[in-house]
Amino acid sequence: MVRVEGRYDIEAIRGEWIGRKTDLVPGRYPVEYDSIRRHCHMVEDTNPLFLDPEYGKASEHGAVIAPPVMTRYFAGAGVWPPSADNQVSMLLSVPTRGERNINLNTEWEYLLPARVGDHLASQTEVTDIYEKSIKLDPRSIWVVTETRITNQNGELVAVGTNTLCTHRTPEQVEAEEGERPL
Amino acid sequence: MTTRTSPNSISTEQTYWDDVREGDLIEGYDLTLDWTKMVEQVSGSQDFYPVHHDPEFAAEAGHPAIFYNTGWTQAALCRVVTDWAGPAGWMSKFRFEMRRMNIPDDEVHARGKVVGKSDLDDDHGLVDLEVWLENDRLGVTTPGWATVRLPRRK
Repeated sequence: MVRVEGRYDIEAIRGEWIGRKTDLVPGRYPVEYDSIRRHCHMVEDTNPLFLDPEYGKASEHGAVIAPPVMTRYFAGAGVWPPSADNQVSMLLSVPTRGERNINLNTEWEYLLPARVGDHLASQTEVTDIYEKSIKLDPRSIWVVTETRITNQNGELVAVGTNTLCTHRTPEQVEAEEGERPL
Repeated sequence: MTTRTSPNSISTEQTYWDDVREGDLIEGYDLTLDWTKMVEQVSGSQDFYPVHHDPEFAAEAGHPAIFYNTGWTQAALCRVVTDWAGPAGWMSKFRFEMRRMNIPDDEVHARGKVVGKSDLDDDHGLVDLEVWLENDRLGVTTPGWATVRLPRRK
């Protein structure tokens, strides 16, 4: 996010940014085994549907699939560091009061599985920007986005909504509001 | 009824819509958030925002500690659902709210409960779940909700 110091005109920013969307951006890599393995490893998930090629081949999906919550990962920049042409970063240009982020609410509808080898793409739209007080920042800025993910056949795989809270550091709040939070 | 636990299961047992009852508990599993687990959350999510691994950066933002990121959180909740649903189950809807933080040294418990069921077609039914993460410091940190499509017994 881009921090705006001084006057923050939320109505102007809402008018400029709500409805703005990325192009349909292809994921950096196809759905692949090793990213799924690392994802499963972090929560000790041993599900063979996600990890075992032979089991996946014999399943109704015909291949290893990604856990549904990984769909967004494969439709985006994927592994670190992000590629320089990552257009999703356009959304990181939304003007906000602070540059610190907390991801809060996430909601997805999963329509199709993402199989190893599928190549996903995403299109993300800014759907709301509003101000809300939190303990860390009395005037934090919340940004809501909707993402639609499709596969290489143009089929809709998933639709998701995400709410991101952006806030200032305590020092920034004190300097701009005259009172330190917390 | 409490359904099977999953910590060491292979997640290949199938849950059938006919057998599910509203109020069934999903025992889930537990995770200890040691520093190895912290590294695994960064590796697994590829989320390198420093608030999730750099205590000094987190403190500068006003947080008491680094906290576990969205990728790890949704993976932990998703596992409750997919372990329970079995290979022919499909999580069609999922949402969650990151209300409180899971931080290093927390003991996290991932749990679930059946809160509703409905018909879909001749071969499948839908089941609504509440799932959540809780830790020993704060109780429930991350409530979530999922809808799962399950096969009917033939």
